[in-house]
Amino acid sequence: MTPAIELFDVTKSFRSQVAVDSLSLTVPTGSIYGFIGPNGSGKTTTLRMILRIYQPDSGRVVVLGQPQGAVADDRVGYLPEERGLYKRMKVFDLLDYYAKLKGVRNAKPMIHEWLEKMGATPWANRKIDALSKGMAQKVQFISAVIHQPQLLILDEPFSGLDPVNMEVLREAVLELRKAGITIVFSTHDMEMAEQMCDYIFMIYRGKKVLNGTLDEIQSAYPADRVRVRLADPQASLPTHSLILDPERRGRLFEFRMADPSRGSEVLRHLVQSENVEYYEVVRPSLHDIFVQIAGPEARQAILSNKNESAA
Amino acid sequence: MKKIFTIANREFRAIVGTKAFLISLSIMPILMFGGIIAMQLLQERGSIEEKNLVVIDHSKQLYEFLQSSAEANNAFVDGQAQKAEEEAKSASEANADTTADAKADSKDKAESTKPTSSPRRGPPTSSKGTRFVLQSINPDEANEAKMLELSDQVRSQKITGILEIPADVTSSGAVKLYSEDSGISTMNFWLTDRINDRVKKLRFESMGLDPVQVQQATQPVALRNLGLVQVKSDGTVQAAEEKDSMAGILLPLFVMMLMFMVIFMASQPMLESVLEEKSLRIAEVLLGSVNPWQLMWGKLLGCVAGSLTIVAFYVVGAYIFAVQKGYSDMIPLHLIPWFIVFQILGVMFYASIFLAVGASVSQLKEAQSMLLPAWILLMSPMFVWFMLVQEPNGSLAVGFSLFPPATPTTMVLRMATGSTVPTWQLLLGVVLLVAATSGCVWLAGRIFRVGILWQGKTPKLTELVRWAFTA
Repeated sequence: MTPAIELFDVTKSFRSQVAVDSLSLTVPTGSIYGFIGPNGSGKTTTLRMILRIYQPDSGRVVVLGQPQGAVADDRVGYLPEERGLYKRMKVFDLLDYYAKLKGVRNAKPMIHEWLEKMGATPWANRKIDALSKGMAQKVQFISAVIHQPQLLILDEPFSGLDPVNMEVLREAVLELRKAGITIVFSTHDMEMAEQMCDYIFMIYRGKKVLNGTLDEIQSAYPADRVRVRLADPQASLPTHSLILDPERRGRLFEFRMADPSRGSEVLRHLVQSENVEYYEVVRPSLHDIFVQIAGPEARQAILSNKNESAA
Repeated sequence: MKKIFTIANREFRAIVGTKAFLISLSIMPILMFGGIIAMQLLQERGSIEEKNLVVIDHSKQLYEFLQSSAEANNAFVDGQAQKAEEEAKSASEANADTTADAKADSKDKAESTKPTSSPRRGPPTSSKGTRFVLQSINPDEANEAKMLELSDQVRSQKITGILEIPADVTSSGAVKLYSEDSGISTMNFWLTDRINDRVKKLRFESMGLDPVQVQQATQPVALRNLGLVQVKSDGTVQAAEEKDSMAGILLPLFVMMLMFMVIFMASQPMLESVLEEKSLRIAEVLLGSVNPWQLMWGKLLGCVAGSLTIVAFYVVGAYIFAVQKGYSDMIPLHLIPWFIVFQILGVMFYASIFLAVGASVSQLKEAQSMLLPAWILLMSPMFVWFMLVQEPNGSLAVGFSLFPPATPTTMVLRMATGSTVPTWQLLLGVVLLVAATSGCVWLAGRIFRVGILWQGKTPKLTELVRWAFTA
């Protein structure tokens, strides 16, 4: 089957700054592909090249088998990172307009179906500026899928949503995947990426730094994190030269092993010193890998993003 | 192409479907022509005023004449007022000949009863609404103390003014009017008119000349302003028509203002809509479906459709108004097709500039300062409109009408004066404007393409040039 997206050695610069640097990537049809990376690393530029909003300086971008084009294919749906809705338009009219721009003649049944699915039917005749943030995001989502695209590009679809709305949207995305639609989404939420994506791609300073399934990515990184629970809640974690950066997380302790091959040595030391209830060597999370690659700069970005979402 | 029409359709609705549009549709003419209309209304509905004058006639030759003149004037004014009242009572009552009474009078009397709104000299006045009450005082009593006392009466508004006629008024003396009225008041015009009439007559008599003969000899020669002789569609020659000089000034002004309003009302929403799309990141959604050219052309077409709606509204409105007032033959129907051609080009020229500027900035305030040069270009013909009307085929008018930014307003103004604009100039104007508009739309498109996704500080002019000329 033809891949949904193929990038061949794509480079895009803005003045002297290289935003995307010799990037090659293949997104298989029917998959959910997660794009991660700190702010300003080239995610949005890559997505915009796939949408034909930007033309690459060099390299080729093939979308749904089309090697080039001056405008995004009508088979592609797009949800941008920031909300793009006309404040003074009514929900229904706006969705109808966006559908028409994607070449849909009679969008009415689809609009009603999606409003129903998102629990937004009562809002059909409300103006956009009367909607809450979560509701506006749902409307934005509907506008991206109303024309039944084959490829759906979602830039930060879950940011700023409360858990209930987030779940509604997540369900909708998974349902679309079931229907065979290829989905590319960028996110700062590493847990969400782990849960939902078949493949994960990380871009950092314009270059590809990770690409593959979660398993493939995780197996490339040593399993050096350990979680321990001691029987005595008052006890503190015994020290050892192999135990690095210990942290207490509720009843659990988490630390990094200086040398994962000497795990049994660490376990023995712990058992001898304390009554150990629970011991687990965990594979590095996407979050850990991300932070390891992007460093403190990225950690800051994630933290501020989490705060924003919480607010 | 279909997507362009989809965008144009939304843009059109966004222009005409707002309350702001309806409000400005009605406010614009009030702002532009309100002064003229208000003046006319006040003139028509002016109440009757009374002017009280104390006359000190050192010559002893004018007071009686002025007194009878005033009485005749007052009788005329009262008659008018009464007639208006009667007309209000029964609208069906036939118009009486207002001058019948005056004609019946003696020659001398006829001269003094002549309505003061005489079209023969001086600007048109509303003296039909002014009564004059004169009282004379003995010139010997008019010492300093008396003058001061009378001046105080003027100040306390017991009387309107003091008229002092010198003894040598028939030779070289000047008449003095002490008052707080302005030099162009109705009273001033009336007095000048009456005194001059009388003094001239006295002079003729002293010279032994017959006033009637002198009047006949000095009768001014009329100069009739005509259009040109034309060949009608059936091949016969149509005689030249008389030009209405007021229409020759007001109609071009109206047409030029209409063009300006249309361009303004259609272009301004473009700026706002592109700013909204930019600041709310709608542009990104749109560009996920259409390319920047489609987006810009859709907006331009919507804008042109909006402007045509405005023109249709005003033209139909003006037509109904003119037909009701009996001026329907004054409506220059031949002008409408040219007006629409220049309007479409003009709207596209300016709307594309507004779009490019809107796409380059992030705030309305910044856009306004960037648009100042465009405003000056658009308004430039208005600064010299009177000169253009005076010489519609002069070099200034030709120059302005072939300068693309000023072509739409100037060309229709020239045509509305009734003088024939050479066809080659019209065509050259269209060609130049098409070229300039194409260039402007192209440049705007290049800037729009980059600017619409540009988030950050407002670019400098050099930056804009770079956007326009690099891929």
